[in-house]
Amino acid sequence: MEAECDNMHPVFCSLSTFDLCDYLQNQKMVPENLKKQLALAVRSIHWSYAIFWTDSTAQPGVLSWGEGYYNGDIKTRKTSQGVELNSDQIGWQRSEQLRELFKSLKTSEISPQTKRPSAALSPEDLTDAEWYYLVCMSFIFNIGQGLPGRSLAKGQPIWLNNAHSADCKVFSRSLLAKSASIETIVCFPFREGVIELGTTEQVSEDLSLIERIKTSFLNSLHVNVPNDPGATLKSKNLEDHAYVTFDHNAYDVESIPEVGYDIANTTSPDGSSNAFQANQPLDETFMVERITGGTSQVQSWQVIDDELSNCVHNSMNSSDCISQTFASPEIIASAPNYNKPSDPCTRDLQKCNNPKMTLVDPRSDDLHYQRVLSSLLKSSDQLTMGMHLQKFHQESSFVSWKKGESMDCQWPRAGTSQKLLKKILFEVPQMHLDGLHESQEENDYKEGMRVEADENGMNHVMSERRRRAKLNERFLTLRSMVPSFSKDDKVSILDDAIQYLKKLERRIKELEAQRGVTDTETGTRRSPQDMVERTSDHYFSKNNNSKKPWIKKRKACGVDETGREINSDALKGSYSNDVTVSTSDKEIVIEMKCPSRAGRLLEIMEAVNSFNIDFNSVQSTEADGNLYLTIKSVFTGATITTTKRIKQALQKVASKC
Amino acid sequence: MGLEEELCCVERNNINNKGGRAWKEERGKRKEERGKRREKMENSSQESQLRSENCISYESAYPIYGMAFSPQSQRVALGSFIEEYTNRVDILSFQPESLSLTPHPSLSFDHPYPPTKLMFHPRKPHLLATSGDYLRLWELRDSSVDALSLFNNSKTSEFCAPLTSFDWNHIDHNRIGTSSIDTTCTIWDIERAIVETQLIAHDKEVYDIAWGEARVFASVSADASVRIFDLRDKEHSTIIYESPHPDTPLLRLAWNKQDLRYMATILMDSNKVVILDIRSPTTPVAQLERHRGSVNAISWAPHSSTHICSAGDDSQALIWEFPTLSSPTSIDPICMYSAPSEINQLQWSSSHPDWIAIAFANKIQLLKV
Repeated sequence: MEAECDNMHPVFCSLSTFDLCDYLQNQKMVPENLKKQLALAVRSIHWSYAIFWTDSTAQPGVLSWGEGYYNGDIKTRKTSQGVELNSDQIGWQRSEQLRELFKSLKTSEISPQTKRPSAALSPEDLTDAEWYYLVCMSFIFNIGQGLPGRSLAKGQPIWLNNAHSADCKVFSRSLLAKSASIETIVCFPFREGVIELGTTEQVSEDLSLIERIKTSFLNSLHVNVPNDPGATLKSKNLEDHAYVTFDHNAYDVESIPEVGYDIANTTSPDGSSNAFQANQPLDETFMVERITGGTSQVQSWQVIDDELSNCVHNSMNSSDCISQTFASPEIIASAPNYNKPSDPCTRDLQKCNNPKMTLVDPRSDDLHYQRVLSSLLKSSDQLTMGMHLQKFHQESSFVSWKKGESMDCQWPRAGTSQKLLKKILFEVPQMHLDGLHESQEENDYKEGMRVEADENGMNHVMSERRRRAKLNERFLTLRSMVPSFSKDDKVSILDDAIQYLKKLERRIKELEAQRGVTDTETGTRRSPQDMVERTSDHYFSKNNNSKKPWIKKRKACGVDETGREINSDALKGSYSNDVTVSTSDKEIVIEMKCPSRAGRLLEIMEAVNSFNIDFNSVQSTEADGNLYLTIKSVFTGATITTTKRIKQALQKVASKC
Repeated sequence: MGLEEELCCVERNNINNKGGRAWKEERGKRKEERGKRREKMENSSQESQLRSENCISYESAYPIYGMAFSPQSQRVALGSFIEEYTNRVDILSFQPESLSLTPHPSLSFDHPYPPTKLMFHPRKPHLLATSGDYLRLWELRDSSVDALSLFNNSKTSEFCAPLTSFDWNHIDHNRIGTSSIDTTCTIWDIERAIVETQLIAHDKEVYDIAWGEARVFASVSADASVRIFDLRDKEHSTIIYESPHPDTPLLRLAWNKQDLRYMATILMDSNKVVILDIRSPTTPVAQLERHRGSVNAISWAPHSSTHICSAGDDSQALIWEFPTLSSPTSIDPICMYSAPSEINQLQWSSSHPDWIAIAFANKIQLLKV
């Protein structure tokens, strides 16, 4: 056959591919006027839909969509003819359109890069119940499984109430049913298949209803009404032909349709749209070869059928077009282009398998369910993406996600979550605000220098400029104060400043040390007796005047102990507790006056002791309720306490009452 | 099996599910790119990226937050995140063919404080906008960058409230919307450099803004709501979502440009990506909850209405496909990528839809999808 077709124009060999036996078999499965009877039946009881699940031709023992009639709510109505239709016709047309839409969705799934063939309906036009009906078309049931399968296996009707809330194990479409508000579903065996009826009403079980439907409508079906395939080119029959045609196993699937594409293009009078149509079955055939499970075969046949029927619609029942479509794959059979990686068609074909694969992979019912739905609900544009994403080919950086796979890394980690995002949203605006305030302060500070923002509002830049200018100014000042050894940049200036400060500190220490030497010299020169004498002199002679002796003493000291640093504020105060602490190197002289009381002296000595001070001499006198005390001592501890701290401690003791 | 109703596969075949599939490539574009690449190869000796298989890394001198793909060219803009006044914006060239990212040092420029968002003009690859203290427009010349304009909407004062984000209208390219911490959104006509309108959009700080149509935008805020505004009716806004916890700010918003019914938002300190359907206000259609840390960034696929990528503190970038019908909380991502540390930024290239860029620490990586 292929050899024959190799060199022939597709039109010539198309009809010869029809296989009459298959055709007739198919006719038996789906009685010709079944749809009409289903329509009558479902309308008579005002239910939403009727589906005839039938034994699939490709895989016996599996129930698939055979025929259906939709009688439910309709959202919008697109009538291309613009002719008013009665309700029968509307329902009829709607069912056809839904079927067509399903096919077109399947089509777009197959060749995502092309536009979806025009269907009278688009997914957006559908009501929930129509979606339910539409999605049902994709279902397949093993005998004994699912509502239809069980009904057939038992040979008994099944009446399901509350379908929307049924356990999905009993009724897997319950979620769908819920969205469509389908409440009651009835399945009963009929001939080789099962008829399913559904409604949005709550209908209690009534087997007589089933009987009535059976007897009044369905028994009148013609079975085995053979039509002459050559004579009928009505679309319905053509669909059947399509089944037959593609059931032909003779394709060399490893051929690639680039040629086919061209042929279709050249032979189809409708141009590119037809070419596209023609290409569809090729994709399918490629896939068919790879399909192993019988279940899937059913569906792919169905898809082929869909393509063809689309083709039929598009070509206005022109048999020419159909034959082209049929024929092209055969021509292609001889095309040896397979597996040229650069061949776009090859790539396209491979992609065509992608959605299938996701549908096929039944990791879980749930997942599968989602996949079926999502792939059906997508429009063709969206599918392009889905295709890409469902494939994690070797080139992708992404790996397929698996639950719990990456649990080995330590999450959640400690620390703020969304750290950077929060900083951007919360802190960066604050930085700007702070910057603005700063610049405003600066502006206020140097009013005269305030620069008017230009019309673009570059004030921020301006303020920053001003800030930098000030910084530079200060740096220059600093540099002028510091002997500079190195380069001129800011870091060098700071380095020099640090060096210079350190040097100065060292110098201070040196000077202090020198001063200490002179202090001790003067200290030793002065005899202790002198001191005692003098102090006692003052203290005893000038009884009531608390200040004078100190002033005098200071004068005396001022002469003798030039290097000594004296806390002058002790002298200024008029408090009754005055403390003077003076140090030079390791020697310390404490002079204090405080109100006298029992134990005061001891407290003072303890306080002084706590600073690790060894007493050289202690002189104390008491007069007018005041205690006068002079302590000469040296530090022994490792740490040298500052005079300030000693003074504070002593003042604390002195102020105690 | 018993009572179980089995959902049979529509098809079953034996092809390995992980089998290699080439992305569809637009061949014309490819050729064009190849030509460009050849030109650029000549002067790209200073490439500093670490190249590994189908993942291009570029290490910057500073931490990165802002990032943008040019929709019309091969450029990528990066904004530094330095907690000081002076920040940088760098421009890189991306060559998908040679898997390389080449910096253009001459096109780097200073930015005051970190830019909160970067975005290229939808059509003109030489125009880049940044937000921070103001909305700024920069012109990228061949070897220099000009600050074209700075948009200050405050008439009385020389400063306006800092901006958290902005969005360039993808239909009317003269229109940019900015969101500010002063609870307002400002719509600019950048051609005429005037404020088209300023709306008090929320009760609290506005954190993100996204255009849906030429005159319709949405925003998210610290007041935990997502609101839609129509410039034709400025009196009203529609709250289409409020986070269940009234004090949880919504931080980012992404409007699905392929299917305007959907938008996505993320919450503060939450691992959820909330998918909203504007037709069903208040009830999210899906919540994607497979991140094990908080989510930092989201980006819809530029060419598919059902795919979204999210990235978060768990250092993962996840790509999700959300079925229109399914149990809304049990959606698993379809694929993932693990980065070395928290991912702070995510952009899905619209000119190269098979590339996603992520930023973490001071690196960016371009990932092939």
